[in-house]
Amino acid sequence: MGAARHPRGLTRLHPFTLLSIAGALPALAWIVPSPSGGLSTAAVALGLAISARAFRTAIFTAAPFWLFLLLLHDVPTTIAIGFRITTMVASFVWVVAALPPPRLVEAMVAAGWSASAAYVFAATLSAVPVLRARAGRIADAQRCRGLSPRGGPVQRLRALRALAVPLILSALHEVDERALALETRRLVPGARRTPLSPPSDHAVERVMRWALAAACVAALAWRLR
Amino acid sequence: MLIPVAAAISLALSAAVDAVALPLFLDTTGTILATALGGPVVGISTGVVTSAVNSLRNPTFWPFVAVQVIVALYAWMAARAGLFRSFKTAVPAGFGLGVIAAITSTPISYLVFGCTTTGGIALTTALGKALGLPPLGACFFGSFLADFGDKAVTFALVTSVLHGLPRRTAARFPWALRAIRAA
Amino acid sequence: MTRLALERVTFRYPATEAPALVDVSLEVAAGEVVAIVGSIGAGASTLLLVAGDLAPRVVGGHLEGSVAFDGEGVRGTVLPTPWTQLSGMAFAVWDEVAFGPANLGLARDEITRRVDRAIARLGIEGLVSREPTTLSGGELQRVIIAGILAMQPGLLLLDEPTAELDPIGARSLWELVRALAREGTAILVASSDLDALPAVADRVVWLDRGRLQAIGSAALLGSEALVAASLGTTVASVWHGARLPSPYPVSVAQALQRWERR
Repeated sequence: MGAARHPRGLTRLHPFTLLSIAGALPALAWIVPSPSGGLSTAAVALGLAISARAFRTAIFTAAPFWLFLLLLHDVPTTIAIGFRITTMVASFVWVVAALPPPRLVEAMVAAGWSASAAYVFAATLSAVPVLRARAGRIADAQRCRGLSPRGGPVQRLRALRALAVPLILSALHEVDERALALETRRLVPGARRTPLSPPSDHAVERVMRWALAAACVAALAWRLR
Repeated sequence: MLIPVAAAISLALSAAVDAVALPLFLDTTGTILATALGGPVVGISTGVVTSAVNSLRNPTFWPFVAVQVIVALYAWMAARAGLFRSFKTAVPAGFGLGVIAAITSTPISYLVFGCTTTGGIALTTALGKALGLPPLGACFFGSFLADFGDKAVTFALVTSVLHGLPRRTAARFPWALRAIRAA
Repeated sequence: MTRLALERVTFRYPATEAPALVDVSLEVAAGEVVAIVGSIGAGASTLLLVAGDLAPRVVGGHLEGSVAFDGEGVRGTVLPTPWTQLSGMAFAVWDEVAFGPANLGLARDEITRRVDRAIARLGIEGLVSREPTTLSGGELQRVIIAGILAMQPGLLLLDEPTAELDPIGARSLWELVRALAREGTAILVASSDLDALPAVADRVVWLDRGRLQAIGSAALLGSEALVAASLGTTVASVWHGARLPSPYPVSVAQALQRWERR
């Protein structure tokens, strides 16, 4: 069967559980007062990122924020906002590394989302690299025809137009062909799709998801008290 | 079928922008285009999907989903008013959107990130601060400088595309013909 | 048993004046392979879209006449450019092939059975865990065809199915087409692989500017009219070039027979 079918460790959890953890951490980071709240959520999120071998990505994404924060704000504000941003970045980076898109799509289908909704999400993911590669090819082709991406802003804008318009028009043309291809393979609105390998979802996990949501609401209520 | 393609356009255009080294995002192109072609619901969906997929690469984009929704609504009104008919109307409309987008993104940027979103905005915010603006004002200054030109270029680009659509493709999108009043 | 019956079909794409098909009538029976030949813009692709219930239902436009599909299973269309036919929802080849059957809502073990069989028939067992976007054109074309076969179509519509394949791949695809026909599938194929058609097609349809010019056995590919329109097989064209008498042979085997009898 397909690749990426044998998740290990934490990533074995149901995709929705992973998502709710990744959603609850930043929420708690904002709700619980700084610095203890942000510090602990950031620590958890970074720990998760390490478990998914995504620590470096998380640090590199979060670092510039710290720099600019220091530039713009005083130290307590920097720490408060910095840990929130770090939590958010790290938990997202973790969930992206831990949750392959096919598993999420499978979970969405199994949970009764319509196949079309899951399709929109998955198709965007797979179309981006294709279009980016094509943008590179168009840039090469226009360069061969003497288009220069240098000079003043007006020339650059003209160059941008020469790159972007063909890219967009070709993508739109493909909308038609894609629609035909999906139709012939019966991706029709409202169709009940068979999930190919639905992720297992234990009662414990369902309880855990609700508990996380409840914790966030409770923290918010306590904070607004 | 339009939604994933339009969202992918928004995300792929950064490659074209890199090639010409201009300080633009163009990350609302797909949203505006989808609105002009498919109406407000398609436009808003495109905006949400764009933000969701974009935040897989850089999670700090997710809170700005609100901006994408505002952009879609604005583009819908612009299309209804026929502002995509020529560059003369599209570019000012883009500037108008720049102001609105800056107004929307400022509070998000300020509250969530302390105004440190993406290198460019943070730097212009620092500039605003150096000019003696208050924090929120400096933040708006930063967002405004970033959005103003970007949205005007985006509108001009969408207008080019709408006018360049082959008739057979355009006929598939009833909204497109109405937007450029070619029907 | 007739699977597909087109009766006096005229079709116009949206926002166009000239019709893409004019007054076309055609029947395809179960177990029959019908090949459409014609120059670019002759309407072969449009005819397949109409037969596959994709035009005007999906592409829009206006249709006169009637299109009737009778029989079990679905109508499966393989379009000419494989990269736009990826589902976008599968991140491995196996899942890509399973996309259609899953959308049909079949039981999971039935899907597995059909997908494994389709993969074996196309000889792409080695690709099952590859990511579809990393495949070459020829590999992709086989994957797409497998994806349609896994839906077990009663009517199979192929638009230039060998365009991305190398000669060996093309030959095994044509053998597969014959095998499917033997199992009772009705097949309508548009192809410019003219030399392969005599061994594959039961009947040949010549389409020109949307009109059905001629219909007959594969011997049509050796007729003076098709050779003059550059739609004859290589053997027929050589025979024509040598000013030998018509009707021309369409294959090497036929040519040898004729030559020996001379």
